[in-house]
Amino acid sequence: MKKKGCLFLAAVWMGIFLTGPGWAQTRQITIALGSEPTTLDPQIREDGGERAVNDNIYDTVLTRTPEGDLIPSLAAQMPELVAPDTWEVTLRSGITFHNGEPLNADAVVYSIQRVIDPDFNSEQISFFSTIKAARTTGDLTLHVITDGPDPILPSRLYWLKVVPPVHSKDPGFAENPVGTGPYRFVTWQRGQHIDLVRNDDYWGDAPQIMAVRYRFIEEPGTRLAGLMAGEFDLITNLLPEFTSHVPKSVNVLGLEHPIVILNANSGITKDPQVRQALNLAVNKMALANGLFEGYAQVAQGQLLSPSFFGYNDQVKAYPYDPDRAKKLIEAAGVKGQTIELIGTSGRWLKDRDLVEAVAGYWEQAGLKVNVRIFEFNEYLNRLFDRKTRADAIFVVSSNELLDADKSFSAYYKSGGVGASNTDATLASLIDAARSETDEQKRESLYHQAVKRAYDQAYFVWLLNIEDIYGLSQRLDWPGRVDARLLVQEMTCQ
Amino acid sequence: MGRFIYRRLIHGLIVILGVTVIVFVVTRMVGDPVQVMLPLESTPEQRAAFEKKLGLDRPIPIQFLEFMGNMARLDFGDSLWQKRPAMDIVFEKLPMTILLTAVGIGFACVLAIPLGIIAALRPGGAVDRVTVFGSLLGLSVPQFWLGLLFIVVFAVQFKILPTSGAGTPSHILLPALTMGLPTLARLVMLVRSSMIDELNRQYVKTSFAKGLPFVRVVGLHALRNAGLPIMTLVGWEVIRSLAGYSVVVETVFAWPGIGLTAIQAIEREDLILIQAIVFTAAVCVVVINIAMDFIYKLIDPRLKLT
Repeated sequence: MKKKGCLFLAAVWMGIFLTGPGWAQTRQITIALGSEPTTLDPQIREDGGERAVNDNIYDTVLTRTPEGDLIPSLAAQMPELVAPDTWEVTLRSGITFHNGEPLNADAVVYSIQRVIDPDFNSEQISFFSTIKAARTTGDLTLHVITDGPDPILPSRLYWLKVVPPVHSKDPGFAENPVGTGPYRFVTWQRGQHIDLVRNDDYWGDAPQIMAVRYRFIEEPGTRLAGLMAGEFDLITNLLPEFTSHVPKSVNVLGLEHPIVILNANSGITKDPQVRQALNLAVNKMALANGLFEGYAQVAQGQLLSPSFFGYNDQVKAYPYDPDRAKKLIEAAGVKGQTIELIGTSGRWLKDRDLVEAVAGYWEQAGLKVNVRIFEFNEYLNRLFDRKTRADAIFVVSSNELLDADKSFSAYYKSGGVGASNTDATLASLIDAARSETDEQKRESLYHQAVKRAYDQAYFVWLLNIEDIYGLSQRLDWPGRVDARLLVQEMTCQ
Repeated sequence: MGRFIYRRLIHGLIVILGVTVIVFVVTRMVGDPVQVMLPLESTPEQRAAFEKKLGLDRPIPIQFLEFMGNMARLDFGDSLWQKRPAMDIVFEKLPMTILLTAVGIGFACVLAIPLGIIAALRPGGAVDRVTVFGSLLGLSVPQFWLGLLFIVVFAVQFKILPTSGAGTPSHILLPALTMGLPTLARLVMLVRSSMIDELNRQYVKTSFAKGLPFVRVVGLHALRNAGLPIMTLVGWEVIRSLAGYSVVVETVFAWPGIGLTAIQAIEREDLILIQAIVFTAAVCVVVINIAMDFIYKLIDPRLKLT
C-alpha cells in the first residue's frame, strides 16, 4: 500500500513536471515595460506603454519589416496615388476583429475619421495632420484624401491602428480593446499587469508564443533585477552599463538623435566658421563609447538614421579635429567668448552627461561655455521660444514616421518649432519635398537639404542611440528599427 | 467634546482649502501641460487646439471658480494624463499605500516597543549597544539602496520573494520591510530614551518597592507615561508616508501606490491629478491629526481636548 502510494505520488509529480510548468515556461512570456498604459484605446494617446501592448492587439493598414521598409499589412497592396491628393487603399479580404466584426473599408474609414476628429482630441494628431477625409469606394477599397499632395501618407498609414466601428463606441472600449491582431486582450489589473493570449484565428502567420503578460516597472534597476531573477523574459530600455549582467541583450539602432541646435541668426554662432568649429571640437566617438558603452553610433552629419527616408549616405560626420576647431575659433575672433548651452536633465538617456561633455569639448576649443540645465517645462519654454533663440540648445529628436519630413519640419526648416536658422533655400527644399509625390525626386530634395544644413553646420550632430533590450536565456528576438515590441516575431524555447 | 471636534474640523477645512489653493496657483504658474503632453515636433497650432480642448486657455479666475466648485463635489474632473476621473485614480492607488504603510509601520511598532524597552532596562548593556548601533545603521542607510539590496538578496540570489509588483502577500514583504526599517530605527531610539526617563522616576521605584510585578510596572505604568512622544512619532511616520514619502519604496518595488502616482503626475504636469492627490493627502493629514488627539486623550486622560 505504502509503495503504491509512493508510486502514485511520483506519477503525479512527473505529471506536474511534464505538463504544468512545461506549458507555463515554454509558451508564455512576461515583458517588463517602463510605464503602464493609461488607456488601451489605440487612437487617443501618444504613449509608449500603450503602444507596446496595442501593437500586438491591433493591426495597422501598412507595417514595416524589422529593417524599416514599408509593406502592406491589412492592405492587400501598397496604396496607390489616384489623384494628386487622393490615395486608394485596397484591403485584404476575410479578416475579422476578435469580436467578429468584419474588417472592411467602412472600419478603416471610421478609424481615420475617429482619429482626425477635432472633438476626439487625439494626441496622435500630428501623425495624421494632412488627412482631410476618407471615403469608401467598395467593400474593401477606400480613398484617403489629403490636404494637398502628401507623399508621406503611406508612412502615416503605418500608424493607423484600425478599430472596430461598433465595439469602439462602447464606453468600456478603452479597457477592453478589440483588434484584428495576433493577440487578444484577456485582462488588465490596473497597477499590476495586462495579459494577452494568442489569437488562433489570426489572418497572418501563427505566432509561436501562446500568451504574454506585461508588467510595469519604472525603475531600471528593478527591471534588471526581475530579469536576473527569471521573472521577466524581456525588459525595455536596458541601461548600457547593465548589459554585462543580463543573460542576453539585443541592441538595435533606434529612432533617437541627440543634437545641439545652433543659433545661425545672432550671437557668436552666427558665423558659419564657429558652427563648424563647434562640430569639429566634439569627439563623438568618445561620447558613444564613454557614455553609452558603445551602444550608440556617431550621427552622420544629419538628423536621420540610415533606415529613414531621405538619409544621405554621401554626408559623413564632421571629424574630431580639435586643432582645426581652435584655429577656426581664433580666425573668427571669438576666442575666450561665452556661449550659452541649454539642456535638461532626466528626460532622455544621459541627457545631462551629454551636455556637460559637449561643453567640455567646446571649452577645449577655446570658448567659455555657460551650461544651463533646466527643469523640463522651463527647458521647453526655451526650446520653443521663437523670439530669442539661445546660442545652443540640446535636444533629442525622435522620428517614429521614419521619414525626413517630421524632423526637418521641426528643426531644419525656418520657423519650425525648434529651428534656429532662417535659411530660405533650406526651407524651400523641405517644402518642395513635402508635396513632391515622385519618390526619387523627393529623396533627392532631402539629400540636398541634408547637404546644405551640413555645409552650414546649423547643428552639432552627435549620436544615433541604440535601443537596448534585456532578454532571458529562453527568448529569441532580433529587435526592430522602429522599436515596436511585436510578440509575433519572438520565439521562446 | 462636541466643540472640540467642531473646532478641529473648521481648522482642518482651512488647512485643506489653503493647501489646494496654493497647489492650484503654483501648478498653473510653473507648468504648461500641453507642452509636455504632445510630441516635441507638434506645431504651435496643434498645441493651441489641444489646450483649448482641455479648457486651459480660459482665464485663470474662471478656471479657479470651476476648480472650487469641483472640489466641493469631490470631483476634480478627468486626469489630463490618464483621461479618467482623477478621484478614481486616487481611490485606486491610496488603499495600496495605506496597506503598505500599515504593514511597514505596524511591523516597526511591533518590534520597536519591546526592543526599546529591553534596551532601556539596562542602558549600556549588550542589548542596548546592539540596538543603538542597529538604529544608527538603519537611519543612515538610504531607503532606495536598502530596497535594491533586499531585491538582490531575496529575489535575485535566493529567489524566495518576487522582485516587484503587488497582488499576493509575498509581494508586500520586501517593500514593507524597506519602508519599516528606518521607522523602526527612529522608533527604537525614542522608545529607549523615553523609557529610560520614565524608569528613573520616583513612581517606578515606589511601584517596585510596593512589590508590583515587573511586567505591570514597566509594561503598563512606565510605557503608558512614555506613550505620548511614541504616538507622536508613529503618527508623524504615518502622515509622512501617506503624504508622499512612500514614493521611494513604491518606485523601487513598482508598488502601485499614491506616492508613485504623484511623481508621475508631476512629471506629466497633470494639473488635475496633482490637485486631487494633494487634496487627498491634506485630508489624510487632517484626519490623522484629529485621530491622534483622541489617542493622546486615551493615553493620558488628564489632557483636555480644546
